[in-house]
Amino acid sequence: MRNLPSAVRTALATATLFAGFSTLHAAEASSDDIAALRDQIRQLDQKLKVLERKQEIAADDAAAAAKTAPKITVNDKGFSIASTDGANQLKLRGLVQADARAFLHNDPAITNNNTFLLRRARVIFEGTFNKNISFLLVPEFAGSAPTVVDAYVNYALTPSLQLRAGRFREPVGLEQLQSDAVAFFNERSYVSQLVPNRDLGVQLWGELLDGTLTYALGVFNGVPDGNNNGAISGTTVNADSDKDKDLAARIFAQPWKNDGGSPLQGLGFGLGASTGREKSGSGLASYKTDGQQTVFSYATATAATATTLAPATSKTNFTTVANGKTWRVSPQFYYYRGSFGLLGEYAFSSVHVSPQFPASLAGSPTVALKNKAWQLATSYVLTGEDAGYTGVVPATNFDWAGGSWGAFELVARYDVLDLDNKAFVTPGAGYSPLANNANNPTKLTTVGVGLNWYLSKSVRASFDFFHTDFGLNVPASAILSTSSTGRIIKNDENAFVTRLQVAF
Amino acid sequence: MKPKSLLLAALAAVLATAAAAKDIELLNVSYDPTRELYVDYNAVFAKYWQAKTGDKVTVKQSHGGSGKQARAVIDGLAADVITLALAADVDALYDNAKLIPQDWQKRLSNNSAPYTSTIVFLVRKGNPQKIKDWDDLVKPGVSVITPNPKTSGGARWNYLAAWEFAKRKLGSEAKAQEFVARLFKNVPVLDSGARGSTTTFVQREVGDVLLAWENEAFLAVKEFGADKFEIVVPSLSILAEPTVSLVDKNVKKKGTEAVAKAYLDYLYSDEGQEIAARNYYRPRNETVAAKYAAQFPKVELFTIDAAFGGWTKAQKTHFADGGIFDQITTK
Repeated sequence: MRNLPSAVRTALATATLFAGFSTLHAAEASSDDIAALRDQIRQLDQKLKVLERKQEIAADDAAAAAKTAPKITVNDKGFSIASTDGANQLKLRGLVQADARAFLHNDPAITNNNTFLLRRARVIFEGTFNKNISFLLVPEFAGSAPTVVDAYVNYALTPSLQLRAGRFREPVGLEQLQSDAVAFFNERSYVSQLVPNRDLGVQLWGELLDGTLTYALGVFNGVPDGNNNGAISGTTVNADSDKDKDLAARIFAQPWKNDGGSPLQGLGFGLGASTGREKSGSGLASYKTDGQQTVFSYATATAATATTLAPATSKTNFTTVANGKTWRVSPQFYYYRGSFGLLGEYAFSSVHVSPQFPASLAGSPTVALKNKAWQLATSYVLTGEDAGYTGVVPATNFDWAGGSWGAFELVARYDVLDLDNKAFVTPGAGYSPLANNANNPTKLTTVGVGLNWYLSKSVRASFDFFHTDFGLNVPASAILSTSSTGRIIKNDENAFVTRLQVAF
Repeated sequence: MKPKSLLLAALAAVLATAAAAKDIELLNVSYDPTRELYVDYNAVFAKYWQAKTGDKVTVKQSHGGSGKQARAVIDGLAADVITLALAADVDALYDNAKLIPQDWQKRLSNNSAPYTSTIVFLVRKGNPQKIKDWDDLVKPGVSVITPNPKTSGGARWNYLAAWEFAKRKLGSEAKAQEFVARLFKNVPVLDSGARGSTTTFVQREVGDVLLAWENEAFLAVKEFGADKFEIVVPSLSILAEPTVSLVDKNVKKKGTEAVAKAYLDYLYSDEGQEIAARNYYRPRNETVAAKYAAQFPKVELFTIDAAFGGWTKAQKTHFADGGIFDQITTK
């Protein structure tokens, strides 16, 4: 009688016995009566056992049904639906970054850089099918038109051998590969401007030796420094400006990753590289300060004359484009121990460029520009939580009424972008330089400090200050105050970049 | 070596590492009372396969009501082989998902039924209700335990055996239907599978008689004691033919076709037949059958083909939604 309430059992047993004793008492308990009584008890016992068994079966059925029911989860990692065995899963996540930027000692002629802006507004769809096929689809709504940031399918034959195809980040830069939401600073360093960003291609990758060694090897359409492959929106879908492809590869080791007692457990180091031939149809990427002001742009033909210039006169009115072999190499490391974090990387980029006349590159001289960048960034979580490449998880959430404040992290960074002076030299007889040294710097050196406040696992407020010193190729007096970049670089830049971010 | 050649060599090395052989794992999705049979058989087959090929094979087992198990495979359970209670449940894999070819039953001997069984009665010691044959089951006050024919293969064999007995004794299909309806009125609990019904009868002490697979009845007596239960063999019963098949789509996808096929073939070997007999399944192999003849009671057996025109017809008439079983149990 395991499953019946004890009160019911007691009542049934009492009733049975009472009926039995009454009968015995009244009829002096003939043998027939006793037999009937026994049969009555047997039947009651059977009814009880049947009821119990039915309850047991119902409970088993309910448990079995629960095992096969899809698992729905809503938490600070987003919304997910998973099959019972976890082999199939759909996730919905999001990222919103609302920024405010302010620049001290602005040139009065600059009127539009102190601003609020929506830096990123993304809905992130993730899914897994049959355990080993996954996808990621990330549309971006923060630009002037919706774009697709990431869109790829990943097939994991094993954890050590996976194939990814679609649009995603090329495996070169360390910080470039870090999630947008968890980097130390609101904006990435100059190194990320010299390594490729997102591109269309296919990549073989995986983790070896118990996850202590990660490799990636891919073939991509190819992008110039710091560029994305043409944004997937409107008419620029799946852009590829040439027939050549880039090879990109990265290897990253964390030898002590699984050694819990080692002070080197949080050390990782590696090397990323890419090579290929580029022939960009449009101009090269500009370079920006950590405060996100564009300060270096290669020459661009003016539209009014670009379509009419004869080659002889185009030597002073052209667009500088990639034209030939490109290669980059980026040694990199990080080290995390407790609340302390340190991340460093270097990038060397060699890109062949040419002045492009309106219709062709025929006869154009080619120059190999060698640009360099490096950064060293550090962090310390004041509230004691662990620092890490994948971000900080606060021990408590911010709760005004409850008196808890979340986590606070101090960050600092020194980064340098050293651009090749050959950009300022004429590429051939009669040509203007590929970039004008009167309104472009040759070196950017930035010191950044910041405070990250983790209100919860998914909400972060960040306050960054960047001071940038511009190295010039000409005396400061020669900088053109009439150009937009000249107005910025004639003084040091002091920028506040603040952000309120929701990432789940 | 040029950079591109180096990359190709590295790629080939990674692919070769990933392709290194692994232990093989099979999933046998079976019906309820075969747990013990396949525990024994899997161990023997693993030894045989390792000796033959050097590969180590581990066979995982899944058990439940035969119909339920078929549904699970149709819904995606990645069975390499199915060893179900009856052909109709295997047919469902073709009918509903084309996981196997339509003529799957022709691929192995004896219509892909490597062993047989039948239905007997398990009663409590002393047989207090004096149950001797099928018509004792419809008497008032007799509590009969059988699983649900909608989910259990064994229950369908029970039902059809009772039907055929009544048809022969009472002379018509209509009287057989009335007989079976009366029988099911005496069933207080419908488990989803045969092992559940055994639990109901043996461990929960519900009911006067369990309609059981012969092997399940022997096992209950062996495990719980001849002083508690006894087997009653009815005058007529059905030749139950549990059937086996590869799940073609799954084995092709998993690359386990060869070992899965060998797994089923080996059921017909002398060793496989011995294991079946030791677990109280009637072997097909005549030599092994003769060796274990004394173990199995003599009973007149009829086949489903002869009495009901085969499983497809029986399934449609009796057990499909709206069929006779639904009609008699909803009255």
